[in-house]
Amino acid sequence: MAAPVAIAHTHVHSLRLASGAEALVARVLAADGTAGFGFTLNLDAGAARDMAAWDALARCKGVALHALLGGSYRNKIHCLRDELPAIAADWTALRKDILEGRHEILRIDPFAWGSVEMVQTIAAVASAFDLSIALLAPNAHPWEIQYCAALAATLKGDDTRIVVRSAPPFASIPVSEEKGIGIDWSIESSFSKIQWQS
Amino acid sequence: MVHAGSMYVIQKTERTVVELAIENGVTGLGETWGTPDAYALAQRFAKDWLGKDALDRYALRELLGKTSYDNRFGRNGLAAVAGLDLAAWDATARSLKMSLAELIGARRRESVDVVSTLPAAILPKAVTRKELTDHLDVLANTKLVVEFALEQVRKSGFRSFKLKSAAYSPEWDWKLLNELREAMPKARIRFDPNANYGAATATELCRRLDALGLEFFEDPTGELEGIARLKAAVKTPVATNMWVVNDEHLVPAIRRRAVDVVLGDLFMWGGIDAWRRMARVSHAYGLKPALHSVYETGIATIANLHLASALPEVEYPNDSGLHFLSSDVLVEPQVVKDGAMQLPSGHGLGVTLDRAKLEKLAIESTDICSA
Repeated sequence: MAAPVAIAHTHVHSLRLASGAEALVARVLAADGTAGFGFTLNLDAGAARDMAAWDALARCKGVALHALLGGSYRNKIHCLRDELPAIAADWTALRKDILEGRHEILRIDPFAWGSVEMVQTIAAVASAFDLSIALLAPNAHPWEIQYCAALAATLKGDDTRIVVRSAPPFASIPVSEEKGIGIDWSIESSFSKIQWQS
Repeated sequence: MVHAGSMYVIQKTERTVVELAIENGVTGLGETWGTPDAYALAQRFAKDWLGKDALDRYALRELLGKTSYDNRFGRNGLAAVAGLDLAAWDATARSLKMSLAELIGARRRESVDVVSTLPAAILPKAVTRKELTDHLDVLANTKLVVEFALEQVRKSGFRSFKLKSAAYSPEWDWKLLNELREAMPKARIRFDPNANYGAATATELCRRLDALGLEFFEDPTGELEGIARLKAAVKTPVATNMWVVNDEHLVPAIRRRAVDVVLGDLFMWGGIDAWRRMARVSHAYGLKPALHSVYETGIATIANLHLASALPEVEYPNDSGLHFLSSDVLVEPQVVKDGAMQLPSGHGLGVTLDRAKLEKLAIESTDICSA
């Protein structure tokens, strides 16, 4: 389920980050002209487009992402170091493993799972089975952590958290109340230099 | 109209209608059961809500949820939350200038098939249980129910029916369902004795009914274990709105493979988000979520249409009893045509409360506002 927004135009750019890593950055133009942005450090631009569509809708409505998804269960999200592997993005296998009681905490890389909707679905199942959710920011990039925070705000569960592979840059991150998905794009100077197609 | 089933013979229904006015001037509508407990709890929870952010539905649920999640007030607590929760979703959708379906996920369809309830028997007035069973002892009376069903087809084009069984006589149900099938060979027919048949009787009856190709057996017998055993013995899908009615029932039902259809009631599940989560989890494990209702006003009936439109997991027609009510509380008449109802256009639920109608019907009303 993509964001319920009429999309006029979508464009994906490759961007060199300050770290030297490459990101795919998507821009979605809603029918009313509102622009939304998304990104991924993976190779699949689908997650970036999905994120950009939700960002466009939230900006268009003048609200934070969580207002569109039902609200916020918390106002800050804990960030922890966790080196255990994230669960492979295989829904059939994950459903079976959950049913067989093989998980206590679901380590989910939202970029690998591809969409807000998929994360919401996994979270619904986790809640039913009384499992915790840890959203992985795979490269510990601030954009990743901010996106994980926007998602984590909407997930039911007492100990929803963000995990990174290295020492986290902060112990917790507040849930953004800014319009959109709450990512500070100015962190990367190259973002403002993107020449978007009209 | 008199509604007869295994649990009640009624001629009226009582509802709690919620109007939630928020700071930006927008008003949201909600509805829940009209039992004294649900009404009293809705008032109490509404007091706790004053001054909080109505656009943050999760936070509101959490606030009220100390009662509902702990299940301190059981189903009444969840139902009271659901009435307020619906009003908050409506107010939010109106504020964001979206339809409720869009806010839930997407507006996927404009029209939703609805189910016509068929009473266990057609009676001239609300009667005692003894009078009801006397009526059911005369098997020739089944034809009155068949005539009633055909009248619904003629009037509103219904294609889906739910027979509310009195669970008094398997022979009555067997004869009546055969006659309904013969009269309406292509209709979807669900059979609902509200778990009032014992396991052995229900299993024997449902095995015979397998041949009729019914849509599903709804609560043919009692308890999760009972319907799980029955399900294993029949080919027709088995549904429940009695044994899987909140979060903690879902996983046992999945593990036990107890049912095929979770016929979720918006009030029992505690509101929009809880219902949406149920639908996602059910679908993930091969169960089909569907929308249960009894005799809601237009408010909850329309809310159920928005849920069905928004959630791709919902494939079955919606239960609905609105067309049997002699009056409603909305300005816009809600019509069943060709067996379906249209989603209203407009923001939120897309409907308008008719104050004059509400005042005429009101038993009691309470204003809860900040000083």
